[in-house]
Amino acid sequence: MIDLFSIILILISALTIIASIISVLMKDLLSCVIALAIMSLLLSLYFYMLHAPDVAIAEAGVGACITTAIFIVAIKATERYEKEEER
Amino acid sequence: MKAKTIFFIIFMAFLLYAAFEIHPFSKPTSKMDDYIISNAQNETGANNVVTSVVFDYRGYDTLGEATVLFAAVSGVLVALRRKEDKHE
Amino acid sequence: MSEEKNNGRMSIIVRTIASSVFPFIVIFSFYIIMHGHLTPGGGFQGGSVAASAIVMLIAAYGYRKVDERVKENSLACIESIGAIIFVAVAFVGLFMAASFMYNFLVGSPFFGEIPHGGNTGILNSGGILPILNIAVGLKVMAGLSAVVAVMALSAGEKK
Repeated sequence: MIDLFSIILILISALTIIASIISVLMKDLLSCVIALAIMSLLLSLYFYMLHAPDVAIAEAGVGACITTAIFIVAIKATERYEKEEER
Repeated sequence: MKAKTIFFIIFMAFLLYAAFEIHPFSKPTSKMDDYIISNAQNETGANNVVTSVVFDYRGYDTLGEATVLFAAVSGVLVALRRKEDKHE
Repeated sequence: MSEEKNNGRMSIIVRTIASSVFPFIVIFSFYIIMHGHLTPGGGFQGGSVAASAIVMLIAAYGYRKVDERVKENSLACIESIGAIIFVAVAFVGLFMAASFMYNFLVGSPFFGEIPHGGNTGILNSGGILPILNIAVGLKVMAGLSAVVAVMALSAGEKK
């Protein structure tokens, strides 16, 4: 029996996986950082729905704001686009 | 390429095994949490059991976390010090 | 670039909204810290929310305004004060009561009353939990905002 709670959980986890895959595959590093922020926010929503509000507040504060700001500052100091290199 | 594929298949098999053999939710194995859940409100007077565990029962872990944060912030402040301070 | 012309700050709409939303976020973070032993949250969570408010001001007003207003030495002082309060409370537990980080204020009339049937709204309860929450909140707020401020200053000077 699949109820509404399980459907929302599966939807949120699927969106989290999609956002993290986008953050890996994009060449524009600023888009990667925005995708990471979205992933972090969805992850905090997931924690809240699993009855862990402490972890949800910490994740939303640190993961979605501080980490994004640090990454954007680092991108501003270095380069924005990822270089093509042979592997 | 072939080694990558083999590693990916093995890792996915491991993850699927771990997902199917996971412990049931909200049924912990140890008995320590029963003591904490039944006694934390009467012993500390705090309503939030998580905070009373983090700051009271497991205070050493919070001290270590504070030490780690202090070391990280000190490292960043030393590494990215301002240029005027360097000349003085 | 126009970014160099206006000192790295954003437009007036962003600045107005950031400066008008800032007190509410700070008050909410103080609520999370002060009610850390009653409702979900605590020192780390409230400190990270307050640090995110300061990071929002840094993003809206630019690094030079931050450089004028706040020095990273004062932020480091605030963080050290939080750490000193934490360790001092733990050592008071060692000297006055049984062991290191012992909750010595439980049972005392000022901080340690234990209500029956759950504590719903009494702030001065829980022994040393509110003091440690405030200490860790100061520490996390000053530390994370100092990291972002110093990185923004360094990136702005390098450009």
